[in-house]
Amino acid sequence: MINQFLNNAWGQASNLFSAPIRRRRWVDLLVVAALAGIVMGLVLVAREWTVLQRPVVEINLSPWALPKYAILSFARAAVAFVISAAFTLVVAYWAARDPLAERFLIPILDTLQSVPLLAFMPVILLAMMSLFRSSNVGIELSAVIIIVTCQAWNMAFSFYQSLKTVPKELDEVSRGFGMNWSQRLRWVELPYATPGLVWNSMVSVANGWFFLMAAEAFKLGSRDFRLPGLGAYMSVAVDQGNVRAQVYAIVAMLTLVILLDQLIWKPVVAWSQRFQMDDAVKVEKRRSWLLRLLRRSEIWMRVRRAVTNLVPKRQPRPLAPSDISEEHTAFQRVLGGTMLILVLLALAFGGVKLVAVMAGVSSHEWLRLLQAGGASMARVLTSTFLATCWTLPVGLWIGLSPTWSRRLQPYVQVVASFPASILFVALIVALQRVGVNLFSSSILLMTISTQWYLLFNIIAGAQAVPMNLREAAKAYRFGLWKTSWKLYFPAIFPFLVTGWVTATGGAWNASIITEIVQFRGQTYTTFGLGAIVTQAADEGNIPLLAAAAILMALLVVLFNRLVWAPLYRLAETRYSVNR
Amino acid sequence: MTAPICELRGVQKHFPGSRGKDIRVLEDINLKVLQDEILCILGPNGSGKSTLLRLIAGLTPPTNGEVRYHRNKLVGLNPGVAMVFQDFALYPWMTVEENVRVVLRARDLPEEELRERAHQAISKVGLEGFEEAFPRELSRGFKQRVGVARALAVDPEVLVMDEPFSQVDALTAEALRAELLDIWQDAERNPNSIVVVSHSIREAVLMSDRIVILSGNPAHIRTIIQNPLPRPRSSRAPEFLKLVDRVHDIITSAELPDVEVTAPIPSKVPEAIEPLPHAASPDILGLLEFLEAQGGSCDLFQVAAQTHVPFETVLTTVKAAEMLDFVETPKRSLTFSPIGLRFMAGDMDKRKDIWRAQLLQLRLFRVVREMLQLREGELSKEELLHEITLRLPMEDAEETFETLVAWGRFGELFAYREEMEVLTFE
Repeated sequence: MINQFLNNAWGQASNLFSAPIRRRRWVDLLVVAALAGIVMGLVLVAREWTVLQRPVVEINLSPWALPKYAILSFARAAVAFVISAAFTLVVAYWAARDPLAERFLIPILDTLQSVPLLAFMPVILLAMMSLFRSSNVGIELSAVIIIVTCQAWNMAFSFYQSLKTVPKELDEVSRGFGMNWSQRLRWVELPYATPGLVWNSMVSVANGWFFLMAAEAFKLGSRDFRLPGLGAYMSVAVDQGNVRAQVYAIVAMLTLVILLDQLIWKPVVAWSQRFQMDDAVKVEKRRSWLLRLLRRSEIWMRVRRAVTNLVPKRQPRPLAPSDISEEHTAFQRVLGGTMLILVLLALAFGGVKLVAVMAGVSSHEWLRLLQAGGASMARVLTSTFLATCWTLPVGLWIGLSPTWSRRLQPYVQVVASFPASILFVALIVALQRVGVNLFSSSILLMTISTQWYLLFNIIAGAQAVPMNLREAAKAYRFGLWKTSWKLYFPAIFPFLVTGWVTATGGAWNASIITEIVQFRGQTYTTFGLGAIVTQAADEGNIPLLAAAAILMALLVVLFNRLVWAPLYRLAETRYSVNR
Repeated sequence: MTAPICELRGVQKHFPGSRGKDIRVLEDINLKVLQDEILCILGPNGSGKSTLLRLIAGLTPPTNGEVRYHRNKLVGLNPGVAMVFQDFALYPWMTVEENVRVVLRARDLPEEELRERAHQAISKVGLEGFEEAFPRELSRGFKQRVGVARALAVDPEVLVMDEPFSQVDALTAEALRAELLDIWQDAERNPNSIVVVSHSIREAVLMSDRIVILSGNPAHIRTIIQNPLPRPRSSRAPEFLKLVDRVHDIITSAELPDVEVTAPIPSKVPEAIEPLPHAASPDILGLLEFLEAQGGSCDLFQVAAQTHVPFETVLTTVKAAEMLDFVETPKRSLTFSPIGLRFMAGDMDKRKDIWRAQLLQLRLFRVVREMLQLREGELSKEELLHEITLRLPMEDAEETFETLVAWGRFGELFAYREEMEVLTFE
C-alpha cells in the first residue's frame, strides 16, 4: 500500500536506480520506529527546556526513569554536535579559502584545541545564568556550550586540513570542468574530508560525553546546577548512597555508548570508507550490520533518493567562472576582511576586559596560584606516567598480534568512549572510605579517564610497525628485550607522543572535576588549580577565577610549545618509519 | 588553411618561487592548435610541458602574452577543451558513471541529456557494464578509460592529455592509443583535435601530426616537426624508425650540444656557476657500469632501450656524468673519458677520491667548501639555499641542494645532518 503510493509519487524514475538486492520489508518497520523515537525525544526535550528553574533538581531514581534521562542527555549531546558541525563547516571553509583569515584563525583554533576548557565551565555557567534568570534555558545552554567548546576545534582543524590537501589533480578536474564553489564543496571537498571528519567526530563526541556528565552533575557550593540527565541521576544516587541506582546509571550509560557505537558510528565508519583515497593505507574493511540492513531497506533508499532529487535546479551559469583565476573579487575581500576584523575586535575586547578583571588579583594570590599550578601539573604528569606504564606493554601486545587486535579493538573502543567522569564522585567516595585521600585518588581518576588515548595510539603504532623490520629483527635473533628497544619503541614513538599530548590535555580537564568534590553537603578538596577555579566561582571571586583559568590555559600552551612540540619534531624526523 | 582552434601568442609563465623569486617556466611560446590534428609535446622532465597544457585549458593564466580560442582572448576556462590527467584524477567516492556525470552536472544539463551523454561517452570507451564500479575496482587501463570518457562527455573541440598513458603498462597503452585514434578519426564528431604531452618519442611519432619539442630553462619551443607518415602507422616501418631517430637527434642535440658548454675548467666569468643536472649518484655509477659492460662505448638510445629508463632520465644522467668529466658524447654515442676509465679501474676508496676531485672542478662545490670553511664547518641549509638562489636564479634551489648533498656525500666532501639542517665537514 505504502509502496503503491511511493511508486505513484516518485514515478518510474526510481525504478532505474533500484539496486538488484532484495529489499526486506521488516527492516522498514525498524526505520519507522527509529524515526518515531527521535520525534518522541524532541518533544521531551522541548518540554524540559521551558520548565521554570527549580531550586533543586528532581531526579527520580527508579530505573524506569532512566530511558527518559538517557534521551535528555543524548539530546544535549546531539544539539551540541550539530552546532559543532555547523561551526566546523563555516570556520574551516573560511580559513581555507581566505588567506588573511587563515593567518589568524588557525593559530587561534590550534590554541583552543589544546586548552583545558572545562576550567571555563563555571564562567560560562555564571554568564548564562545571568542572561536567563527565570528558566532552565541558561543551564541547558551552558551545558551545550561547554560541549561545543570541547568538540568544535579538532573537527574544524581536520576539515581545514582536508580542504588544504585535496589532491591537486582532483581539484583541477573540478575547476577544469567548470564546477562552481558549492558544487566543488559538495562533490569534491566534503567527500574528500569525510574520513577525517568522521574520525574526529567520534573523538569529539566521546569527549562531549565526558564534559556532559560533568556538566549535568555540576554543583557550586550551595547552588545546584544539575540538569536532569544521566549525570545528575548518578550524582543523586551517590548523594543518597543508593548503590543500586548507581549501577543502573552506569549500565544505562554503557548501553547508550554501545547503542551509539552500533547504530551510529559503525554504520557511518563503514559508509565513510568509500571516501577513502585509493592509495591510503590498506586498513581492514569495517563492516556494519546496520548499514547492510539499511542498504536493503526500501524506505531508506527512497528517502535518500527523494532527498537527492530535492536539490533545486539552478539557472545555468555562464562559463568561465570568476573563481578560476584564484583572485577574490573586491566584494569578497572586503566581506572577509570585515568579518575578520569583527572577530579580532571581539577577542581583543575580551582580552582587555580580562586583564582589567585580573588586575584585582594580589601578588600573594598569584604565588599561590603558581604553586597550585605546579601541584596540578605534577598530578597530570604522574597520571600520564602511570597510564604509560600499563598501556605500553598491553598496547604493543594487542597491536602486534593481528588476532588479538581484531578481537579486542571493538571492546576497547566502547570502553574508551565511556565517559569516566560519571564515575568520579562515586569512586572518590569509595576510595575515601578505604583511606585514600583526594590527592592520590585524583591522580587515579585522571589515569582512568586518559589512559585510553594512550592505549589507542600505541595499538595503532604497533600495527604500523613494518613487517619486514619485524622479520629482520627475528632473523638476526634480536630477542624480546632488544627488539623492544631497537624496533618497537622507536617505531611507536611518534604515536606515543600524540597519545601523550591528548592524554595530558584530557588529564587537565579531569583535574578540574577531581580536585574538588561535593558529597552530601561536604566539600573535599586537594591543593590544585582545578580546585581553586571551582572555589573561586563558588565565592563569586571573579578576578581569581579568571586568573586561575587563564593560568591553567597558559601552562598547558607553554608545556605544549616547550616539551611536546620538540618531541613531535623529533618523532617526525628521526622516528618516522614510512618516510 | 582554416583558422586555428587555439593559439598561444608570446606566452610566458612564471611561478612564484621560494624566497620571493619567480621561477620562469615558459618563455615566448607561440603555438597554434590547428583543426583536425594531433599535436604532441615532447621535452625533458620539468620543462613545462604540463604547464603548457594547463595554459591551453585555461586552468592557469599566462603571466604574459595571451591564449586565444577561436580568435577570442581567453579569460578563465577554455570552453572548448577537456583534459585527461596523468594520474587519472578520478573521484574515488563516485562510481564510473557518477564520475562522468558529475562534470556534466557542473554544466547544468537537463537530466535526460545528461544520462544520454554519459551513456554515450561510457560506451565509446568500452566501459559498458562497469557503470556501477568504483575506480578502486578497476585496473589502471580502465581507470584511464574513465578519464577519457569523462573528457569526451563534455564534447570538447580539443582534447588535451597530460602523459595519459604513462601510468599504464605497455600493452594497455598500445590498446588505448589505438582506441583514441579511432575516436579522433571519426571526423563527424568531437574531439576535432588532440594535444598530447608525452615522454615517449615512439608514442609521439605514432600518434601525432606535428611534434613540438620544448627545451631549455625556461623552456621555449625548440622546433616543431611535421609528421607526414600515413595512417595507420606501423612502428616497424623504416620511415617510422627514421623519424624516431630524427626526433631523438634533435632532443639530444638540444640537451647535450656537441659544443662544450659545461666547462669543468674554472670558468672565466667568476660569477657563472653551472647548474647541476638533477641526477642521483647511484644512477651515474650505474650508467658507468652499463657503459663498461657495453665495452666502453655505446649509442645513447641503446642505454634507454636496454635499461628501460625513460630517455629524459638517461639524458640527465649522461649530462651529469659528462659534467664530472667521466664520459664524452661525440654525436649520439657515449664513451669513457680518461678520467672515467681511471674511475672504473679503481676500488671504492680510489673512486671516491676521483669523484671528490671531479666535484671540486665544479665551481658550485668549491663555493660550498669555501662557505663551510668560512662558517667554521657548520653551514646551514637555509644559508646555502639563499646562495644557490642568488647564483642560479633559474634553478629550483631545493632540487639543486638535494643533488649537491647527494653528490657531496658520496665524495665525502661534506656531511649533511638532516635533523639540524646543517652541512658539516666529513
